[in-house]
Amino acid sequence: MQTYGHFLVFSTTLVVFLFVLWLVRRRSIGERFAVLWLLISVFLLMASSVGYRYLFEIARFVGVPYPPSALFFLAISALTMLIIELFAWVSKLNDRTRVLTQQLAILRERVEREQAVPPSQPGR
Amino acid sequence: MIPVPEIQNREGCPRALIIIPAFNEARSLPQLIQQISSLYPQYDIAVINDGSVDDTVQVVRNLPARLISLPCNLGIGGAMQTGFCIARDESYDIAVQVDGDGQHPADQVRLLVDAVRQSGCDIVIGSRFLSPEGYQSTLSRRLGIRIFSLWLSAICRTRITDATSGFRALNRRAIQLLSRNYAEDYPEVEAILVAHRAGLRICEVSVEMSARSGGVSSIGGLRSIGYMVKVSLAILMCSIRRGEIAP
Repeated sequence: MQTYGHFLVFSTTLVVFLFVLWLVRRRSIGERFAVLWLLISVFLLMASSVGYRYLFEIARFVGVPYPPSALFFLAISALTMLIIELFAWVSKLNDRTRVLTQQLAILRERVEREQAVPPSQPGR
Repeated sequence: MIPVPEIQNREGCPRALIIIPAFNEARSLPQLIQQISSLYPQYDIAVINDGSVDDTVQVVRNLPARLISLPCNLGIGGAMQTGFCIARDESYDIAVQVDGDGQHPADQVRLLVDAVRQSGCDIVIGSRFLSPEGYQSTLSRRLGIRIFSLWLSAICRTRITDATSGFRALNRRAIQLLSRNYAEDYPEVEAILVAHRAGLRICEVSVEMSARSGGVSSIGGLRSIGYMVKVSLAILMCSIRRGEIAP
């Protein structure tokens, strides 16, 4: 950590990492997303500590003259991927909810019909 | 509630389920269901109440029809699919889709059922444009329907004149397919494409429709533009999606 700015970035990503760990411990976040967010937070932690010094070199290597732009590009790309993944997940949940709603209605009608028919007398 | 008699095998008569999706159709349902049950006592009627907030539930409970009430509003697609699931699970031979707004005359149900039995088609669509009689809808709607009908006719290589008609009859293969795969909003056009891609045969019979007798149409004003865009996108997406395998 060379400057106050570096320390700020590092501590922020550390908070993110600890927050994800806390969510996992509380089981507030599902396994599917917990793994994803743990990977993201570990990556951010590495990038903000040991990887920070390589940012300029990587940016120069890929031909981006202003290094923070490369960082923003990576961050926005990652967030876009994450949003698409969430959309796919919401669509899947929507499908499941629809099937459950339909099955609930069908079963409820079946129960109502059975209850409407008087039970047969024992011994007949 | 009137107990619905157990479904029985009737010699020489297909077991048909008439599915009526209903969202706030308390005004038009009594007449429609009374007509259907008096004309076709051999068929079962299932009203799928799609989260209505009017008296639909109370009204249907006193009518000779099964009432399947969805706990929340799923839209016309989700409601219809519920009916197809019932038809599939209870092994009905034919499912007939009739709108709850009174647009589809009860006396024409027989045309669809007969066409499914005799034509060898898997889906029979009741078209109001094969012969220019009865209610033909407004000019803008007719234009929209014509566009989709021409588009689908080109894709399916069969003549379709009323792609958006919700007055349809399906045989077991089509019931199996659409109970698995049915669009949520404005599903009529997409269902034709899904069926075609699964190798099902689709044809039309001429029917006369009337103007809706109650309730409010879900498509009007700005929504009609949204309808055109949504259905166009649905056709394009359906074309690139992996096709369903015919049951």
